[in-house]
Amino acid sequence: MNRIAQGLTLVLLGAAALTSTIPTDLYLNWVKAGFGPFLIGAGVVMVVLGVLVIAAELRGEQQALDEEDVVPAVATAGEPGHVGDHVDASTHREEHGEGHGHDHSRAPRVAWLLLLPVLAVFVVAPPALGSYTVESTGGSSGPPPRDERGPSKFNDALAEAGPGEVVELAIQEFVMRAWIDEERELADREVELTGFAVPTEDGQGWYLARLQMACCAADAVVNKVLITDQPAPETDSWWRVRGTWVEPEGELDEVSQHELAVLEMEEVVNPPDPYE
Amino acid sequence: MSERTTPGSAPSTSLGDSLAGGWDDRGDELPPTDWGRRTGSRRTGTVWLFALFITAMAFGHAWLSDELTGQAFLAWATIFTAISFQAMPFLVFGVALSAALVAFVPTSVYRRFIPDDPRKAVPVAGASGALLPGCECASVPIAGSLIKRGVAPAAALTFLLAAPSINPIVMIATAVAFAGQPEMVLARFAASLLASVVIGWVWVRFGRTDWLRLPSRTHTPGASKWRVFRESMLHDIMHAGGYLVVGALAAATLNVMVPREWLLAVAEAPLVSVLVLALLAIVLSICSEADAFVAVSLTDFSPTAKLAFMVIGPIVDLKLIAMQAGVFGWRFVARFAPLCLVIGLLSTFLIGAILL
Repeated sequence: MNRIAQGLTLVLLGAAALTSTIPTDLYLNWVKAGFGPFLIGAGVVMVVLGVLVIAAELRGEQQALDEEDVVPAVATAGEPGHVGDHVDASTHREEHGEGHGHDHSRAPRVAWLLLLPVLAVFVVAPPALGSYTVESTGGSSGPPPRDERGPSKFNDALAEAGPGEVVELAIQEFVMRAWIDEERELADREVELTGFAVPTEDGQGWYLARLQMACCAADAVVNKVLITDQPAPETDSWWRVRGTWVEPEGELDEVSQHELAVLEMEEVVNPPDPYE
Repeated sequence: MSERTTPGSAPSTSLGDSLAGGWDDRGDELPPTDWGRRTGSRRTGTVWLFALFITAMAFGHAWLSDELTGQAFLAWATIFTAISFQAMPFLVFGVALSAALVAFVPTSVYRRFIPDDPRKAVPVAGASGALLPGCECASVPIAGSLIKRGVAPAAALTFLLAAPSINPIVMIATAVAFAGQPEMVLARFAASLLASVVIGWVWVRFGRTDWLRLPSRTHTPGASKWRVFRESMLHDIMHAGGYLVVGALAAATLNVMVPREWLLAVAEAPLVSVLVLALLAIVLSICSEADAFVAVSLTDFSPTAKLAFMVIGPIVDLKLIAMQAGVFGWRFVARFAPLCLVIGLLSTFLIGAILL
């Protein structure tokens, strides 16, 4: 990979980072919103660096550097193996099977792969993870860890809301409550959840699901609530559902999945951030 | 669906490879007196190649984007893009910092702060890993430039392992994920630091310099610092970045292909479950700042197994292996990665037995 190619690759990669953050919200499909400013920063740095490299190359600076470079490198190579490399750079390159060696003006062929994220952004524009991920993750992830915290351990909207109010909860907060709140404060409370529809494996009801992301889509965790008293809407359509928790009998952590009794549901256009 | 993308993606890269390879070969046959001319034609060719690539992308964007509906392919593409983009700011930040170390900080500064004796330098490097916030993508190029500046390789490698494992952001993320379980945060800190320092000492004792391939970038003495900075950044992005993409490809593929049920099936076995989560950490290649949240979601596993997930992840994973290979060479990785895995596991079992 010669220097013009390296510079152009950097410009394209930076352009991909900038395109997915500034004019569009594509990056929210892949990473946390907090990454936005950093992606913009990285994009700007890559574009600037790429332009500088191309400009320097076009000015012909590199040729001078190439010639100078060989001499001091041989002279200073104290470590074993380095002298031979520079004496016969061509055989060295063949041995390694890639244009890397110690010729500093060139990048290894693997650097061409940096164009793959560019292709991904501009051609594929990958959507947020959805029903496919929920279905392939299969059965429930089980109850979240139980720890010995006081009753004030939940800092969700339910903890603050007065009695009788409709509480808007993330699905993650809802299942967390449902699984580990021994006080069962969730019982008989009207909650409002937003998520996308996913069919169940056995066709009995459907899931309202949302993916929870800590950092990027690779660490997405599925949270879902079973709904059986409404016909299943179109897969991957987004819904805001108001309803109450179907309180299970017996121990909470033995329940395999939690169910919501629907009072009212309305379809929503995709929320700007698809993850919780 | 994936067949349909191949016309768009594979040819552009492989075409690039073959064309670039072609120029390589031709370049080697030509006598040095012809270099000027060769560079000129190569430049034009490259510009044309990229023009072609951008045109192909424009067509792909117009015609192909709506056709790509394969669910598995899209999930794969999302995870690949997610890993690449999540790592990108860290990579650029790490590369900029390492280039700044090369270009602006004189070697004498290192001599003053880091003990000459590698055995003493290793713990110092391990502790200083607690200071630099960043994930593993940032620390690989930084470690490379530390070695180039005369820091003992063992100390630089300890820093490479400690920085992503025990930096403040990772510790805060772990505390948030394992709220109410401070022993988990402590165990992670202790096990990761112990593993990093022990690996450093093992490297002092048994490591050989010629396993490390480091380009000796003694650029022209007259070159301005900014030029050294620019060249150093370009070099590191091209090396570490290319391999980062390799790692992201592998991790995304395994992430989509390996069903989680397989993992849950083994969660009951005490020893096996630890090994399985260590393996999962290697495969998933999650950023060290996020792995605690994933670990906490693996509720069927024992605390020691979760600890293994968080100790192994930042020191050995597919993305990291590929990046280390780019910076230090495969000869190094073939020895270093297994060493990290073994010592990381031993440290996990030890600290897990004491604290968890």
